[in-house]
Amino acid sequence: MKAFFLSLLLFTATTQASQALIEFQSPEQQALFKELTQELRCPKCQNQNIADSNAVVAVDMRNKTLELVQQGQDKDQVLDYMKSRYGDFVHYQPPLNKFTLILWLLPALMAFGLVLVLLLRRRAERSGAVTESAEQATPQLEQQLDQLIEQYRRKS
Amino acid sequence: MRKLAFFIPFVLFIGLSVFLFSGLFSDPMERESSVLNKPLPAFTLPDLQQPDNLWTAEKLKGKPYLLNVWGTWCVTCNAELAYLTELREQGVMIIGLYYQQPSDAAFGEVFNLTALQQEVALKLEQQGDPYQWNILDKDRSLIFDLGVTGAPETFLIDAKGIIRYHHIGDINPQVWQQKLAAAYQSLEE
Repeated sequence: MKAFFLSLLLFTATTQASQALIEFQSPEQQALFKELTQELRCPKCQNQNIADSNAVVAVDMRNKTLELVQQGQDKDQVLDYMKSRYGDFVHYQPPLNKFTLILWLLPALMAFGLVLVLLLRRRAERSGAVTESAEQATPQLEQQLDQLIEQYRRKS
Repeated sequence: MRKLAFFIPFVLFIGLSVFLFSGLFSDPMERESSVLNKPLPAFTLPDLQQPDNLWTAEKLKGKPYLLNVWGTWCVTCNAELAYLTELREQGVMIIGLYYQQPSDAAFGEVFNLTALQQEVALKLEQQGDPYQWNILDKDRSLIFDLGVTGAPETFLIDAKGIIRYHHIGDINPQVWQQKLAAAYQSLEE
């Protein structure tokens, strides 16, 4: 009886799995397919990749990716195929061009600005222009202070 | 220098607020189509009602027209049928590209052409028929090559078969006046 239930379990498991089973000619192709479906973005459902989405267009893109991978096309070829139809939008890695240049420049500019500020501040500190601590009080300053105190005393 | 540094966070805050605020009113679906100003991709697809009649990109040349991607299953497409019919009456040439959804084999669905033809004919009789004819793209091959993300979408194609405009979403009087009318009229001349 136990064997019967076990075999039943096995049966249901295999029938369910058979739908999503894709056979590849090589582990490389399998890896490429996995990589591509995770990097390609579903054009209909804003923030899902085509591996996660079940929108009709995502399913079609997945099937097309599989077809191209099985034909032996490499990653760039598949990406170009998709981009020529759905635009740069479909790849999560934006290309470097005049519209996206700011994405690369901005972090570098910010880092540069930060270093500049730090350097300027350090230089100012070294020349002693910024801070005037109590230790730096000179007899001359003391004298000035005494004069001021005396002045206000007389007034009151 | 001190005063300037004091204002930097404030300026950054204002900049960020303006950027995020303007984002509230931008359309995330709006983006440059990559098929623009390119010829209609090559295809050979049957007419929906007369499947023996095969359409190709070459056969569609000669007159500017709208290529409207639609399906009876798509609610927005049904809503735009009436206005598209009005445009047809004004002399705009509209060709339908029928978006067939994949049949779900797990639910025993099989593609049935006769049933589809009847369904389409009934729908067009009820809502208005804007189409000169319909091209059936059963496997969504031309639809894929055109970079269609869903239905409805409309392409404006000139007499030489070059794609001049790609509109995602429905066509209503406002969209027609603001986006497509001028482009269509300039192609007509």
